[in-house]
Parts: sequence; structure tokens; C-alpha cells
Amino acid sequence: MMDGTGIALLGFLALLVLLLIRMPVGLAMLIVGAAGIAVIRPAAAVPVLAGEMFAVASRYPLTILPLFMLMGNLAVVSRMSQDLYHAAHSWLGRLRGSLASASIVACAGFSALSGSSLAAALTMGRVSLPEMRRYRYDDSLATGAIAAGGTLGILIPPSAGLVIYGIITEESIGRLFMAGVIPGILLTLLFVLGVSIVVRRDPDKAPYTEEPVAWRDRLRATARAGWILGIVVVTIGGIYAGVFSAIEAAGVGALLTLIAACVRRALNRETMIEVVGGTLKASGTAFLVLFGAFVFKVFLGLTGIAFVASDWVAEQGFSGAQVVLLVLVMFIVLGTFLDGFAMLVLTVPLVQPILESLGVDMIWFGVMVVITLEMGLISPPVGLNIFVVKGVAPDVPVHRMFRGIVPFWLAMLAALILIALWPNLATFLPNAMYG
Amino acid sequence: MTVFENCRDRFVRAEVYCRRLGTAFVAVGGIALAVLLAVTVAEVFWRYALNDSLLWIEDLSTMSLTVVVAGAIAYGAGEGSHVSVNLIGRFLGRPVTRITDAVARLLGVGVTAIAAYALFAHGSCGLACGAVTGSVSIPHRPFYYALGASLVTYGLLLTTQLLLGLAAWNAEDPNEPAE
Repeated sequence: MMDGTGIALLGFLALLVLLLIRMPVGLAMLIVGAAGIAVIRPAAAVPVLAGEMFAVASRYPLTILPLFMLMGNLAVVSRMSQDLYHAAHSWLGRLRGSLASASIVACAGFSALSGSSLAAALTMGRVSLPEMRRYRYDDSLATGAIAAGGTLGILIPPSAGLVIYGIITEESIGRLFMAGVIPGILLTLLFVLGVSIVVRRDPDKAPYTEEPVAWRDRLRATARAGWILGIVVVTIGGIYAGVFSAIEAAGVGALLTLIAACVRRALNRETMIEVVGGTLKASGTAFLVLFGAFVFKVFLGLTGIAFVASDWVAEQGFSGAQVVLLVLVMFIVLGTFLDGFAMLVLTVPLVQPILESLGVDMIWFGVMVVITLEMGLISPPVGLNIFVVKGVAPDVPVHRMFRGIVPFWLAMLAALILIALWPNLATFLPNAMYG
Repeated sequence: MTVFENCRDRFVRAEVYCRRLGTAFVAVGGIALAVLLAVTVAEVFWRYALNDSLLWIEDLSTMSLTVVVAGAIAYGAGEGSHVSVNLIGRFLGRPVTRITDAVARLLGVGVTAIAAYALFAHGSCGLACGAVTGSVSIPHRPFYYALGASLVTYGLLLTTQLLLGLAAWNAEDPNEPAE
């Protein structure tokens, strides 16, 4: 009879095979999880399957996901992203490569409304790519800036990545959101720095085209983006000030975005269907993966593999920093071919007990993990954001796009190193707020 | 595979019906989403404007979420939004994926059927098992059924996609995952 560790390893192997044959990630984890439970505790399989799925679907903290997705979809149809882009451009217009930098800053702003990196890349790609091409920006820089800027969607709160990480690790989502703020701003600045270095090395990549923008025009452009800025201040500021919980902030933010969309006359039957359909599609993606993840987590718990792995790590005498480094390298490698959410739900339940036993701060680790997920979103061969931008710029070859993301990928690596060296970059805000 | 090829039109029609069934979940999910939004905002309003809290808010929110999730999974299935890892398609092509896709879909039909059975069986226990919400005792049963129905829809869609894939054995799969 095989022991728990053997069954767990067999489970992981079966999962890899199922993922390789293109089975949806959530279903693959459901199959392996349910089959594994049936092997270890046959009588528990059906009740656990039903109980875990219902528990996930009715978990109060998860109400945040559809509400923030609704908010992001409403922001898309209300065309607030255009105002945000023009406001960012009015302030950055005198810099070389300003259109690329403005795309990144606007992506960061949009990310504060939408937890989805794909939505951020798609929305800002539609707005900013035609402008950059009009001014003869190099395709690799233009598409790279949008694809990389879009990844900020899963770091800057509200972040679907941080919500799922919080649910799996049972960490406070509010704390995680606050922890994402400074790294999100840091990464935005590093991306802008990346654009400026690229353009300094090869000025032809971003021809200088801009006339100086008068202060009055800058203020006017900023005022036009007032809706989006106001909503961001109310939701994120509300969480920080303790006025709202993260869930309430999602509800209030979605309501304010709905009002903004109505005021801007952006809502009609078609756009409402687009908003609801888009929200349900994105929610369905996340919840099916979560169903699988929670059933799989029960299976792993029954095998006891996490304790075996913890003991093994303790016997080897590894430090927390060494294990974190190893896990992050593993995430960066896995991220090149595995979906980010899948990677998160597959690996975090296994590494969490090990990291906790070594005294690693799971809030800080969560931010680091989400940055590695961002790296995966633009890494070849399956960088999803690249393919989203490809949809907006079908004539740009994928290899040129991948070449364009190199400076931004390095910027992410720099952010990881900075946050590893100074954990306060991630933990200062949550500690200041929650103690 | 001639048997399947001859029935291709029937499979196409069956898939259309399954997609329509998935789309019907949009209406249900959309209403639940509106309820979820309303109760979340109501909670804030009650607390700050009326200096009071509503006990039933969390119960209503969680049950609305269940319906949103049921709608989302069924609709997402029809829209191809459930993520998979498409490495094999890039490197090995249709001669391999026509076999692996059939296996994956068959297993998918199996697991959705088992999961739906589990939800219906567990949900049918109802009040006898104490399956009600904590504050205002909303019974869990209809929400278990909603999730079960959603998975049945997903399973039916996978069945039609399996049959369509077999019918297109020597051609491109009409449900090839999008890049």
C-alpha cells in the first residue's frame, strides 16, 4: 500500500498530465483532488466535493471578486480609460517616450479600478496603441509597454491575484491590498524608467513629437479623469482609512462606476450585456479554478505531504530566505508555461506550511508571488498579455513583442530584488494600518 | 469515425442548445450580481447613514454569490473562458490533440457529472442536515441545486464538444481553444 507522500506525488503527476492534455485547470484539480480523496478516504469523496464547492461559492470574502470585476467592466464601457490616458500624457508629454510612459501610468490607474491584467492591457491597448503608431513609435516598445503596463492589474489593488492568494492562505485581503500599493507604484516607476533607458539608448524607438502642454490643459485633462481618480481615492482610500472593508469598497466602487457610466451615457442594452457577460465570464474562470483548488487542497491535507516537506526542509537546514528564493525561481520558471492562477492554487497550499514554519511573512511573500505571476504574463511562450496585445495589433509579429518586453521583465526582476531587500516596501502600509 | 461525421449536424444543433442553456444562466447570474451589489452598498448605507447594521446582509450576499457563481460557470463554459494550458497544441498539432482533447473532454464530462451528483445529493439533505445560513436561516438546498444545474450544463456542453471533436477527426476542431 502506497503511503501519503507517494499518493500526493502521483496526484501531482496526474495533474501535470491532465494539464498537458489541455483539460481546464479547475476540472483537472477537481478530478485529481476527488480521486485522491476517494483513494485515501473513500466515504469522504462525495461530501467533500459538494461541501468544498458550496463553501467556495458561498464564501463571503469572495463576493469581492465579481464586484471588482463588475467595476472594471463598467470602467471599460464608460471609456474612462481614454481620459486617464490623456491626463497621464498631459503630465508626461515632455519626456522622450512619453506616449509609452503615459500608457504605463494609465494602465496603473486603470488597474486601481480593475483587478484584471488582461482587461488593463486590452483597454489601454485600444486607447494608446493607435496614438503610439501615429507617432511612429517602435512596435516592440509600444506593445511591450502596454503588455507590461497591463500586468500591474494583478498587483495594484483591487487585485484578483491577491484576492485568490488571500483566500488560499487565509490572509487578510485588506492587508494584502494595502501591501500591493507601494510595490505597484514602485513597479510603475521602474517601467517608466525602463522606457526612458530604452529611448535613451535608441532614440529612433520613440521619435520626439510633443509640444509642451500648458498647465491649464494639464489641469483640464486631469479634471476629465476626475471620475476614475475619485473612485480610486474613495475605494482604496476608504480601505486605508478604515471606512470600508475591502468587500464594501468593492461594492461602493462598483456603484460609483455604475453612476459614472450612467452620467457619461455609456450604458445601453448592448453595453449592459457586455458588462454582465464579461463579469460572469471572468468570475466563472476564477471560481472553477478555486473549486478545484480547494478540493485539491483537502486531498493534499489528507496525504500529509506538506508536513513531510516541512520536515525535510528543516532537516536540510534551509533558511527562510533560501526557500523563498527557491520558490520564486520555481514560480518564474513555471510562469513561462502555466497560467498564473493555476500556478498560485497549485503551489501555494504546498509551500505555505513550509514558509510559515520558517517564519516567512506571508503578506510580503504574497506580493512577491504576484510579481512573479506578472512576469509570467509577459514571458514566452505563453505570456497571455502578449497575446491580448496581439489582438489589438495583429500585424506586429509575436517575436517583436517578446523582444519589447525584455526591459520591463528586467524592471520586474529589479522590483522583486528591491522588495526582497527592503520588505517594508510591502509591509509598511498594512502594518501602519492594521498594526 | 464515420458514424460521428454522419451525425455532425445533430451535434452542432445540440451544442447550440447547450450554449443557449449557458446563456440563460447570464440572466440569472446578472440578477444575482445586481442583488449582491445592492446588499453590499446597503450595508454601508445602513451603518453610516442609519447607524445600524443589517444582520441578514451576509446571508443574502453569500447566497447571491452562489447564484452568481452558478451563472458564471455555466456561461463561462459556453464562452470558452475556463483556462487550460495550451502547450501540446502549439508543439504537436491536431494529430495529437484530437486524441488528447477527446480524453480530456471525456474526463471532463465524468467529473462534472460526479460533481453535479455530489451537489444534488448533498443539497437534498436540506434542513435535516442543518444546511441553512447562520443569521436568517435561508435554506442552502436551492443554491446547491443551482450549482449542480450549472455543472450539468457544463457537462452537456463538454459532451457535445467531445462528439463534435470526434466528428471533425480529420479536420480542424470547431472548439479549438483560442490563443
